[in-house]
Order: sequence, then structure tokens, then C-alpha cells
Amino acid sequence: MFGYVTVDKSEMLGKDFEAYKAIYCSLCKQLGKDYSFLTRFILSYDCTFYAVIALSLEDSCYGFCSGKCKFNPLKKCNYIKSGEEALSKAAALSIVSVYYKLKDNIADGSFFEKLLCYLMMPFFSHWRKKALKKYPEIEKAVAKMSLAQFEVEKDKSCSIDKAAEPTANMLSDVLTLLVDDDDEKSGQKRRVLSSFGYFLGKWIYLIDAANDFEDDLKKGCFNPYIIAYGNDKALHLSDINSSLDHCLSECLLSYNLLEIKHFNRIVDNVLIYGLPKKQKSILYKEKELKHGE
Amino acid sequence: MNPYQVLGVAETATDAEIKNAYRELAKKYHPDNYTDSPLADLAEQKMKEINEAYDMICDMRKNPSSSSNSSYYNGSYGSSQYTHTNFPDVRRLIKEGRLDDAMQILNGVSTSGRNGEWYFLMGMVFSRKGWTEQAFSYFQTACRMEPNNPEFISALNNINARRNYNPSGYNTVNSAGCSVCDICAGIMCADCLCDCCGGGGCC
Repeated sequence: MFGYVTVDKSEMLGKDFEAYKAIYCSLCKQLGKDYSFLTRFILSYDCTFYAVIALSLEDSCYGFCSGKCKFNPLKKCNYIKSGEEALSKAAALSIVSVYYKLKDNIADGSFFEKLLCYLMMPFFSHWRKKALKKYPEIEKAVAKMSLAQFEVEKDKSCSIDKAAEPTANMLSDVLTLLVDDDDEKSGQKRRVLSSFGYFLGKWIYLIDAANDFEDDLKKGCFNPYIIAYGNDKALHLSDINSSLDHCLSECLLSYNLLEIKHFNRIVDNVLIYGLPKKQKSILYKEKELKHGE
Repeated sequence: MNPYQVLGVAETATDAEIKNAYRELAKKYHPDNYTDSPLADLAEQKMKEINEAYDMICDMRKNPSSSSNSSYYNGSYGSSQYTHTNFPDVRRLIKEGRLDDAMQILNGVSTSGRNGEWYFLMGMVFSRKGWTEQAFSYFQTACRMEPNNPEFISALNNINARRNYNPSGYNTVNSAGCSVCDICAGIMCADCLCDCCGGGGCC
């Protein structure tokens, strides 16, 4: 379940898109630095968004510098100058979530999926250990999700809310981790982030479920929408849309109460344009304009 | 506190600009948006700050035309009065945020005792937990059982408003079909909603 949290480039100022790209590239660099050159392939938009939020909560001001892209020596990239801690957390989240995703696939994937995952597993368990040492709380939050998801999927009459809860809680946990002071203001911030993360996580889980509906139906896999609405997706499209809309509304209400210091136009863009656009394109299969990267 | 910073305007902004900025913010943090939300207290605090900042600027500028009218948006947060309740404990527990306890009591109620209010309170607990789909379905049942109860209707209206997300102001779906008729109906519904909450000054 990756890559749903994106920006809508067409609604963005050029400078904001440059900044977003710089964060994306910086996260890529950080993955290479903290783990291995190979982990750069797992870079996702979702974790980039986590990095954006992590960076936006810090006090320090960021500058940009230019460098070379490690994949394409002809391409130039911008990187942000500071904020290594925030990027490192996002890198850890990327590693850990891929590790548990692989574990999931080994448990219920097809033969070739399993084979592929088995081959990648040794690398990722090594990197996961590294991430665990650095940010044990992030590892714990994702591990908790994986376990809870497994439990939830045993329930064959599982409700939509219940199915989405593990992912929702995970994102809520990892976002609250970003605030570590202990004063009253931080307590409030944690409450807001917790709610923000909960509903964003819920949206991510549900949009993934909506996206996989046909596949899951064919393979007989667990999908809360199939349990709730049976096998006719078209008939219940507006219900699915409403359930996703509700998550986004709550998400925006929480976000409005969050005081962030940088990149607010990027986060605004994601919430106001990026996510709804993604949702419409998945539900109504509208063709999406490609990100010109 | 710098009131200009709170409203996000420059100190050189005109009165009209300030009023606009204030209105935008007041719309964003209006108590109606956060009804039944666990973050309602934070929104209320924010609203207070905005009101204070606006009043402060108005005082500073001593401009009669922009005189303090922020009380306009001083909606109060949902401590509505119940004339009659079968579940005072549950309501107290929900208010205190002890959702599991509230749920336990509700689950202990026998099927015959499950009236409209029971469904409404179940919806409340689920709503607080973030279980939006369950909350929606319980509120619907509550309204079906007691269609004239204003408390249930307002909860259902609230949740219905949140189940339609369109902050950018334009509908990007063509296939969903939004005719002129739908827009009219939408505006009418919104207007009813507005009256329902005591009517803001905006319409």
C-alpha cells in the first residue's frame, strides 16, 4: 500500500514543487546513506509525505543545495541542507514498512511473490535491525500494525472501521513520535497529529482496499469493502467514496489545528488537491496526468 | 501576541483585508465544523485567539466601520441541554473521553432497551473512536427511530457534511454527474443545516 499520498503538480507553485522534489531526493540520499545504495529503490511518496511533515515541524530553517542524482549522472538534483534527523526517521519508516510488507506477502502471496520476497528478505531483515536500533518506536508501531492486521483479517465479518484501524493507528503513532517535548503545547500538538495520522492512515488503507477490490475479489483475498458491500463495486461506489471523503474531512479538520513552520503550501496541496484527485482517479478510473519528473 | 500574525496579514493591510482574513479564519475554525470532534477544545481555543486578535486590531485602529463584530462568530461548543436522557452515565463517560467504559455500559443494555438514544450514543462512541462508518450507520438508525429528535438530526447532518470532501471548491468528477438540480438541492440542504445550528451570520 504505497504511493497514494501525492501532490497535485498542476495546482502547485513552481517553487513548492521544487522544494517537494528536493525533499524526495534528499530522502533518497538519506536511504542510501543510512542503509544501502539498494534501498533507494523503495522510496515512496507516502514516506516522502512523512518526511515533509517531520521537516515542517522542526524549528530550523532549511536551505537548498544542488548536487548530482545518484541514478542518473546527467541529472541534477536539489537537496535540502539540514533536517537529517527528520529524513532519517522517514528512511527508517520506509525500511520497516517494506520489511513488514514482505513478511505479509510471504504469508499470503502467490508462489512467485513468495519466492521474490524470500530472496529480498535477508537484506531487509539486516536493514530492519539497523532501523530498529535507531528508532525503536517506529519499528514498534509498524510491527504492532502488522500483528493487528493479521488478527483483524481472521474476522470474516470484519467492519470497514475495524479493518482500517491497524494502519490508522500506525500512522497516528509514527506521527505523534515526531513531537518529543513535554510541555503543554506539545501535548496539544500530539493530539492533533494523532488524529491527523489516524484519519490519513485510515484513508490510505481504504483507498488501497478500493484499489484492490477487483483483484481481491478474483483471488478471494480479505477486503473490507467486499465484506461490507458484496461483489458489486459499481453499485456502492458512492458509499465507498463517502467513506473515503469522511476520512479526508477529519484529516483536514485536524490539520487546520496543526501549526507547522515550513512547507505548509505543500501539505495544503496534498490534502486539498492531491488526495482527492487520487481518490477520484482510483474510484472513477479517470486518467491521471503524469508527474513530470 | 502579535494580532497581525495571528490573522496572517501584514501590519499595512487595509481594514477590508483584515476583515476578509478574519472571516476566512473564522469560517475555518468555526465551532460548527468541530461539533462532536475530540479536537473541539483546540478549535475553540484557536477561535478565541482569532477573535481576540481581530478585536485588538479594531481597537488599535479605532475605526468605527470595522468596529468589533467578532461576537458574530462566537458560537458556543456543543454543550447542548438534554431535557430527558435514559443514559446519563454514558453521556458523562463520553464527555470524559472514557469510550471503552461507555461502550461497555451500552453493550450491556438489553435489546428491548435499545431506543433511538441508545443508537445515537453508540454512534457518538464510534465517532469519537474514529470509526466513522459505524458512527454513520448508528446515527442513521437513531434518526429512523426518532425522526423528530433535533439532537440526532444534527449529529446526522454533521456526519453527512463530512462525508462530502471538496475543499478545493470544484468537483473534479465528471462521471459522478452533478447537474444544476443537484447544486440547488445541495444549497438548500446546506441552508437547512445552517438554520439547524442556530444560523451563522453568513446566510
